[in-house]
Amino acid sequence: MATGGLFHPIDPLVAGEPAVALATLISATGSTSKKIGAKMIVGQSGRLLGGVTIGGCVDAQVIEAADALVASGGRRVLSIALDDDEAREIGLTCGGTVEVLLEAVPLNGGASPVLNAHRTASEALARDEAAVIVTPVDGAAAALVVTEGGMRVGTLGDLASDDAAAAIAADVLTGASRTETVSGRRLYFDRHAPPTTLVIVGAGQIAMSLTRMARELELRSIVIDGRERYATAERFPDADEVLVGMPSELVARVANGRRVAAILVAHDYKYELPALRHLLRVPVGYIGMLGSRKRGEAVRALLRDEGFSPEEIARIHTPIGLDLGGKSPPEVALSILAEIVAVRCGKRA
Amino acid sequence: MTAFRAIVLEHFRRPHNRGPLEHATGHAEGANALCGDRIRIQVRVANGVVEAAGFTADACAVCIASASVLTVYVRGLSLGAARGVDAAWVYGALDGEPPRGRLKCALLPLETLHRAVADAVAHAP
Repeated sequence: MATGGLFHPIDPLVAGEPAVALATLISATGSTSKKIGAKMIVGQSGRLLGGVTIGGCVDAQVIEAADALVASGGRRVLSIALDDDEAREIGLTCGGTVEVLLEAVPLNGGASPVLNAHRTASEALARDEAAVIVTPVDGAAAALVVTEGGMRVGTLGDLASDDAAAAIAADVLTGASRTETVSGRRLYFDRHAPPTTLVIVGAGQIAMSLTRMARELELRSIVIDGRERYATAERFPDADEVLVGMPSELVARVANGRRVAAILVAHDYKYELPALRHLLRVPVGYIGMLGSRKRGEAVRALLRDEGFSPEEIARIHTPIGLDLGGKSPPEVALSILAEIVAVRCGKRA
Repeated sequence: MTAFRAIVLEHFRRPHNRGPLEHATGHAEGANALCGDRIRIQVRVANGVVEAAGFTADACAVCIASASVLTVYVRGLSLGAARGVDAAWVYGALDGEPPRGRLKCALLPLETLHRAVADAVAHAP
């Protein structure tokens, strides 16, 4: 679900369902394989989309509870231990507990705060804005949506609660989904953000691996090159766009905004320098350039001569990627994506 | 360092006429398909004279240097003289012929310039 776990009645995966149960991982202790906000949709006909854990008996319990809920309506919280005695005995468990919020969502008419909230969030995403859906963990369904653009839609029941929740949502907008207790009431803050876009300059082997892995990571990818024989849809079936032309001009057209990760893997200064002249002047989230430390320093020196500040030049990650030791194109691609994830999550890269 | 290399590096670091040309009357784009050099040359022609030329390029140092010297030289030339600029002139301006594998890099701006001038003539009022 590239839109961050949202669904919509016209989504082909839920089309034709009179109702679904939406299961959301809202809290976890110990080690879990999925992050807070992971979602599973269970249709009345038994169809499934997504997952709240990596699978196994936990998801099975969620599906069982969802099946019951989608028939009866309403909402509930499922608290599940991630281990069992036998698994603990042989060391095959991560340990901990998870809480899963289950909500029945009618799709064939009728008012639903959950559905309305997801529609509002979907509209925000379409405007390239992040949005936070705030819902009470316990009690009746209610939802407040706070968008990056400053919109507030819906209510948790009273203005004081909405104000307090909106203040926390403003922090969640730039962070991660979480639960918080506000005036004795547990609230779940569900963050939805437009996907990160990889802007890849240089249509070689590393780029091919990057686009394949990006698909799995739910990242958009745009491949750019000046060479028509390299930048083809046939070589990049997983890319969202393949663009041929003056690379720096194409970069200037598509690489804007903090949700862009610019990856320079042409290993050719003729593309790198013009692209960097644009990228260092705009607030993209990540700039990485393939090359040795020595080569990176030479490029930095040229940019310094052109008047770029130390702060601007320091934004370039080169050598690119986390130092995993791998040398093959897929291994280099893996290290680059690992670094992008680390930067996005605020880890030292 | 050879004179050729010194001239190329100087023009690469401080190219003349790089950037969009205001009030251009003709333009052309060129590319070297395999190495990936890309260039756009714009010219402003009036009364049968090239008043100015400029270029935008994602290209190697040899290509940038060639574009730089060419766009300086053609300023003020008649259309006939601009059409007559040839490879020998480019090699002379760079003080030497590029290595064999880089000839296309040096000549891409020349070929693109000729097409830009032709474009200006074709669109002349």
